[in-house]
Amino acid sequence: MRGRPSLFTRYEADGAIFPNNAQRVWFVVGLIAVAVLPIWLPRDWMILIATAFIASVGVIGLNLITGYAGQVSLGHAFFLGIGAYAGAAFGGAATDKLTGLGLDILIWLPAAGLTAGLVGAIIAPIAVRLKGLYLAFLTLGLVFLGEHIFREWDSVTGGPGIGREPAQLSLFGWRFDIDGSIGGFDVTREQQIYWLGLVVLIIMGFLAKNIVRSRIGRAFAAIRDRDIAAEVMGIGLTRYKVLAFAVSSFYAGVAGALLFTVTGFVTTASFNLLLSINYVAMVVIGGAASIAGSIMGAAFLTLLPRMIDAAGDVLPFLEVGSQGILSTSQLERVIFGVLIIAFLIFEPMGLYGIWIRIRNYWKAWPFSY
Amino acid sequence: MTSTLEQSRPGAQWLGVKSIPELLRSIALEEPDKVALREKEFGIWQETTYAGYWDLVKSAAMGMWALGIRPGDKVAIQSENRIAWVVSDIAAQSIQAASVGLYPTNPSAEVEYLLGHSEAKILIAEDQEQVDKALEVKDRLPHLNKIIYVEPRGVRSYDDPMLMSWEVFLGMGRAALAESPGRVDELVDGIDPDDVGTLVYTSGTTGPPKGAMLSHNNMVWVSESGRRLIAGDEVPPSVQYLSYLPLCHVFGRLYDLAGALAMRATVNFAESIETVVSDLGEIQPTYFPAPPRIWEKMHASVQIRMADASAVKKVLYKIFLSAGMRNADRMLERGSRGPWGGLVHAVGNALVYRSLKKKLGMQRCEQAISGSAPIAPEVLKFFMALGIPIFEGWGMTETTAVGTVNSLGDMKLGTIGKPIDDVEIELADDGEILVRSPGIFKGYFKNPEATAETIEPDGWMHTGDVAEWTEDGFLRIVDRKKDIIITAGGKNISPSEIENKLKVSPFVKEAMVIGDRRKFLTALIGIELDTVANWAQRKNITFTTYRDLSEKPEVIGLIQKAVDEANAYFARVETVKKFALIPKELDHEEGELTATQKIKRRVLVDQFSDIIEEMYA
Repeated sequence: MRGRPSLFTRYEADGAIFPNNAQRVWFVVGLIAVAVLPIWLPRDWMILIATAFIASVGVIGLNLITGYAGQVSLGHAFFLGIGAYAGAAFGGAATDKLTGLGLDILIWLPAAGLTAGLVGAIIAPIAVRLKGLYLAFLTLGLVFLGEHIFREWDSVTGGPGIGREPAQLSLFGWRFDIDGSIGGFDVTREQQIYWLGLVVLIIMGFLAKNIVRSRIGRAFAAIRDRDIAAEVMGIGLTRYKVLAFAVSSFYAGVAGALLFTVTGFVTTASFNLLLSINYVAMVVIGGAASIAGSIMGAAFLTLLPRMIDAAGDVLPFLEVGSQGILSTSQLERVIFGVLIIAFLIFEPMGLYGIWIRIRNYWKAWPFSY
Repeated sequence: MTSTLEQSRPGAQWLGVKSIPELLRSIALEEPDKVALREKEFGIWQETTYAGYWDLVKSAAMGMWALGIRPGDKVAIQSENRIAWVVSDIAAQSIQAASVGLYPTNPSAEVEYLLGHSEAKILIAEDQEQVDKALEVKDRLPHLNKIIYVEPRGVRSYDDPMLMSWEVFLGMGRAALAESPGRVDELVDGIDPDDVGTLVYTSGTTGPPKGAMLSHNNMVWVSESGRRLIAGDEVPPSVQYLSYLPLCHVFGRLYDLAGALAMRATVNFAESIETVVSDLGEIQPTYFPAPPRIWEKMHASVQIRMADASAVKKVLYKIFLSAGMRNADRMLERGSRGPWGGLVHAVGNALVYRSLKKKLGMQRCEQAISGSAPIAPEVLKFFMALGIPIFEGWGMTETTAVGTVNSLGDMKLGTIGKPIDDVEIELADDGEILVRSPGIFKGYFKNPEATAETIEPDGWMHTGDVAEWTEDGFLRIVDRKKDIIITAGGKNISPSEIENKLKVSPFVKEAMVIGDRRKFLTALIGIELDTVANWAQRKNITFTTYRDLSEKPEVIGLIQKAVDEANAYFARVETVKKFALIPKELDHEEGELTATQKIKRRVLVDQFSDIIEEMYA
């Protein structure tokens, strides 16, 4: 109610994404700031941030199944791979050896998501019988299966060591992947990709936010907290677990397809266990069961290598040429490991948890609780 | 906005209506879609409009009619505050019957007394607990012929012809309403403003409760004078009330029911007494009445939570609290903070007061009232420092809740203010307050002797409260006439003044000063479990029960400090020389407190006579 922000007479208001106008305004202000950033950013940073946007979509997908529905999945790389190759098959050009339909992004992007989602839904009934460690291992198996399939199915993937061209970023004939001009303003390829990634993230982010605050999201949370209790309350376990798998895989598919086109090159070996672990790390560091946290985690881990690079000039022990103790990539791995351990121990709710803490300090003002 | 209301009907003196049901009906006609009531269900506040409210009242009224209630009969209600309560109350009044409120905490023996004495024919019982109490004693209640339960949980399986669910009751009422749609309106139009509309049983610190008969006129008058007092002629368009004070008490009833109607407010029913704090945060009421106990508790909770706050927050709080206290002094002396004080307040508001008020649920509170018992001036000043003006008032069941009040720009701490419009006050030779006003009750039900003792033929009423005038025309309560202590030395002492000073300490919940015909004063003190437990935890003192905690020497030392602080305010003869801690939490159901949480002195003196004698040994 107006002037009484916590008086709710409707569930719509109680569960609103933005409970008040102040939050709405701040969101729009932040969004505009992010949207105008590429005007000044260097090109390589734009691609890096665009990658972070797209990775965020993938992390949101993993967070939906792992953070919200509580089903630990190490198979995210598999679904990212399916998305990547399905996107390429639907949107890429055909050659004598490769399948390719050359469709519009409006078709190949959802199609890539749906393909991954469909595979997820097919596999899910097997997976719903398991939970915890067993489920983690089952999904791990998917990654190995996937690696084999990607290697062998060379009419789609191009085969190991050869690869293929990604899908074309064209919308109704407009090409995102070449420099162009909109209304007299020159826009570079990187700027367009940045904005494309941002738009996709906003759409997928709001979609996820709506899933988690609806009946489905509440069912996910109930299953996560106690599956038996959830079933007693009338939540169909199989149905919602399958749904969680399908939705999560859909997100992975979309992210995979876009990542392929942005980086421009993948090998069949890219979609391995390490990639899965990387995504799990983004969920843990960002914050489980939080959409905002997913974005923070993805951005943080995507930008981390670049930041370490930048720090290389300052840190004396880093290897320059042949001197020093650690190379930057070694340091990156060390920091990565330390971060995961540190977050699990000190802030299990991730970056989002840190934000919550800061927010609560001010929210409880002038009390401390 | 009230011009439409004031085109009075013949015989109507206040608000242009003759009764509360009529007032509701006129609002339902004028502003049918305005939200009248909110009740929290399944996590959100479900709304009822004024039209819906009147519709419910008509159905309930016809339901009562169908059950054989006729003008002059009584309908009893035993429930926590909820929509069914106010609907039943107004419904009974609209068919010229009278309502009787029972406290949900009344044990079955009291239920038997109240239902028997009032001769209630119907009982609206909230839930299984209340139904059980009534069923236990129904055989000895010849007048009672129906028990209507509102919450069916647990009662569904009961097989007693006397029971009927609220839904069935309303359905029956709707059917009867369809048959004779004009009956309720006819009965409402026919209400004689001088007839009894409700029976309010006084809490009875001495002897059995007495049923004060309040007329329709009494209630409509209070309703109007309350509005005039709080809002003047300009009623804000959206007024929020939080109904949590027991509706069977005259303060809660006239504020949340009659007063809210005069303000055309939205009444939000607290989910339960335990959730009042969180409900307050959600509702942020526009006007907030509370007994001293609630203010003391809020005050204590702020102190405790600030003690746990981080250093920066603590420092800011301390700085601005003392600045606020100085501002409060300025307000009291000159009626305003002045330019410098205003600036300090603005800064303090941004940094501390605003968020503190929001936590307390007082952010949008324009006026707060303290009544029903004397409050310590320190507590009032604390809230004034934050910018929440609390006005202490005085009234009693027999004066229909109002009498005197402090008001904006015209207040003096430690007094109960000045008489409100239409109220005449005189002090008898012994200092007893005599009142004459349109709010004076009709007498005690079935007790003409007590009525004659209380009301003089010329309309003056003896209140039993002793008071004195200050030089500038404020009234200061000394004590209840019968509570005044005369020491062995012949000195008259008002125990409640000392007790209130003791209760300023956040660690003291109950205090009873003893000393009648004794050489010196002593006190029985009950500790506040929450705050003392919190203190003990911080001091690493382990304890098990309330009793165990009360017996810790550290706790006795803590209370000794509070007693010393209170003693500093008084002359030597008025100081508490010894005290003892009560080994148990006082309780209504065990007869130690009244339903409004006032101590029953006689009971305590009997129950703890050994402890008392020990102090004098």
